[in-house]
Amino acid sequence: MKTMTRNTTACLATALLFSGIAAADRTPAPENAYLYVGWPNDGEVVPANQPFRVWFGLRNMGVAPKGANVPNTGHHHLLIDTDLPPLDQEIPSDRNHIHFGAGQTETTIELPPGTHTLQLIMGDYNHVPHDPPVYSRKKTIYVR
Amino acid sequence: MLIRKIVVAVLLAASYTMAFAAERTPAPKDAVVYIVWPSDGAVIRGGKLWVRMGLRNAGVAPKGVCMPNTGHHHLLIDTVLPPFDEEIPSDRQHLHFGGGQTEARLEDLAPGKHTLQLLLADCNHVPHDPPLYSKMITITVPPY
Repeated sequence: MKTMTRNTTACLATALLFSGIAAADRTPAPENAYLYVGWPNDGEVVPANQPFRVWFGLRNMGVAPKGANVPNTGHHHLLIDTDLPPLDQEIPSDRNHIHFGAGQTETTIELPPGTHTLQLIMGDYNHVPHDPPVYSRKKTIYVR
Repeated sequence: MLIRKIVVAVLLAASYTMAFAAERTPAPKDAVVYIVWPSDGAVIRGGKLWVRMGLRNAGVAPKGVCMPNTGHHHLLIDTVLPPFDEEIPSDRQHLHFGGGQTEARLEDLAPGKHTLQLLLADCNHVPHDPPLYSKMITITVPPY
């Protein structure tokens, strides 16, 4: 019993220590940072099999390429057809999580016919979301 | 003797030009700088607006972050393009966005016509070679 309590305590202590480290790793977000998908609009109908432009809107915060650790900056990540990833670790990099580590502020994508969602989230120089996280409203578009 | 002097002079001039040219950052290939909003001819009641700064085929990096294919925005208000071989001036007509911002808040445009133009510059505030600038647009602020 005593051992178990000790184990539990050790476990808790480790968990606390770990979350402390994880929290310390996250970059503070600038106050009033506002991220939005500038285009397309929510509910926009986009032609299928044809590239269209997505414009990244960001206010009260700046853009910096990955690896550039400058206060009040981050780089854009476009989430396609997916929910927000865990906010305390690196944003995944795959077909649903597109990184713009070169400091891009817009992109061109092509999607198959159907209903799709677009959402933006900022990542810091290490691709980890800020604290608090800076993300846009999720928009739904129709590709026909 | 005269020929030797001329040759020396030409060589000096050439090396000076080369040294000078070497200081400017090459422009990212196919990069386009443009004003996303407002559109040319827009009427802005109250003289307050967000200018959305657009950049294609290149990235945004804050001042001091010298990475290939990046630069930061400068908004020129009611003025023509400055010299391209030196730092862009910093005053009320030449707004620097060295924090990597991609939108500019303007709050004190007087009634009348105003011109807006964007000019990208490298990590040292010097335009690229060749320079990357947007079309100049005109907006009108009606009498309050």
